[in-house]
Amino acid sequence: MTEIMKYDVVVVGAGIAGPIVARNVAREGYSVLLVDKKPAIGAPKQCAEGINISIFERYDIPYDKRFINREIYGARIYSPSGYELEIKYKKVSGVILERKVFDKMLAFYAARSGADVLSRTEVEDVIRENGKIVGVKAKHEGEPVEIYGDIIVAADGVESTIARKAGINTYAPPHEFDSAYEYEMLIDGFDPDLIHLWFGNDVAPRGYVWVFPKDEDRANVGIGINSDNPKTAKYYLDKWLKENNIPSKKLLEINVGVVPVGGFLKELAKENVVVVGDAARQVNPMHGGGMAEAMKAGTIASKWIVKALEEENLELLKNYTTEWWEKDGKRLERVLKIRKAVEKLNDEDLDVFIEVLSGTDAEKIAEGNYTEVIKVLLKHPKVLMSARRISLLKELL
Amino acid sequence: MVEKIKIIVNEDKCYLCGGCAGVCPSLAIKVSSSKWEFFQDKCISCKICINACPVGALDFEPLEG
Repeated sequence: MTEIMKYDVVVVGAGIAGPIVARNVAREGYSVLLVDKKPAIGAPKQCAEGINISIFERYDIPYDKRFINREIYGARIYSPSGYELEIKYKKVSGVILERKVFDKMLAFYAARSGADVLSRTEVEDVIRENGKIVGVKAKHEGEPVEIYGDIIVAADGVESTIARKAGINTYAPPHEFDSAYEYEMLIDGFDPDLIHLWFGNDVAPRGYVWVFPKDEDRANVGIGINSDNPKTAKYYLDKWLKENNIPSKKLLEINVGVVPVGGFLKELAKENVVVVGDAARQVNPMHGGGMAEAMKAGTIASKWIVKALEEENLELLKNYTTEWWEKDGKRLERVLKIRKAVEKLNDEDLDVFIEVLSGTDAEKIAEGNYTEVIKVLLKHPKVLMSARRISLLKELL
Repeated sequence: MVEKIKIIVNEDKCYLCGGCAGVCPSLAIKVSSSKWEFFQDKCISCKICINACPVGALDFEPLEG
């Protein structure tokens, strides 16, 4: 027999965006159900687990050592020929999370705020009555359930099944996805206070190889490449490990996934369905990081969900689309434009830029002043000698 | 005319990450927590899923006729 449930808001997917929405809406006193298909929320992870330190205060998340694996002080960037650029801060700039704990704790905060949470609940379809979506059909531990909700939140990741079934266009061209592959493994010889990034068209086409330290000798070692590449992400990562004489026989985890790095949804809410996070392609197209973007979008979405419930006016959900595009969409479109310009750099360009920047200007990068950095590059003789490089850099300004 | 194909999965290689379903423009693939499913009637033979798979778990075979 099918169990019937009823909530004000049903959130499908307990990654990052889903629990933030569930927590924020439940705090305002509305009934919320957060469901996730996984038996253990957070596992398996599909993530390199690095995030900026600012998110904890900004999104009211405790700085809890249970999910903070390591504090990070900056980054070291490696060019194809081995030039290095180090950006190091005096204070902690980011952390490497333990996503398996972090995601579950976000769901816990949602539950503690009043939301119901059901893991191992796989949503299979939407329920329509008179053409309108009124809920979702799911299986909880294999048993059918029908969950009715005034508002449905599709936080169901890159597959975005619910958004698509609601008729929201989530299509993005294949080039706007990254294919990602990662080992959590034992690895020596890298400063564990920094994240490490390798660039190069033979190393990681369109993307980069990363080492995100978790211990002195343990790290997430992964790669992201353009998903329309005829070779696999695994091929490129294994090649990189071999070429760098890094032993790959101490693998603690293998993580796999596809990351949207462009193609942001034009329509983030349709009737009573709201799309957030990877499902809405809300990921930074430059570095493929989606956690902070999911938190931002989830915060805006939850504000408008609460207003729509307060005023019993679902039309207000459209304001989520408007506000996200005004605040973050415009910014991410600009980042996407930069990514497209950076994609045109060849290995020699990358060598020159990183070599030039490895001198006196790292401080400007550390301050986040990219425009000043590009201006500095534009003054350098190795750049000035190339009309193509000048043109590429001007695209970044 | 585009050659009609059937997408096949190597279950031993597949991580059920859902990436192929995410890039599929026509909802021809469904990945649940326990299985990978292909819907031939929806497939447009674009092969985007095959390239996108991070581990090369997908392949295709031509359909006759």
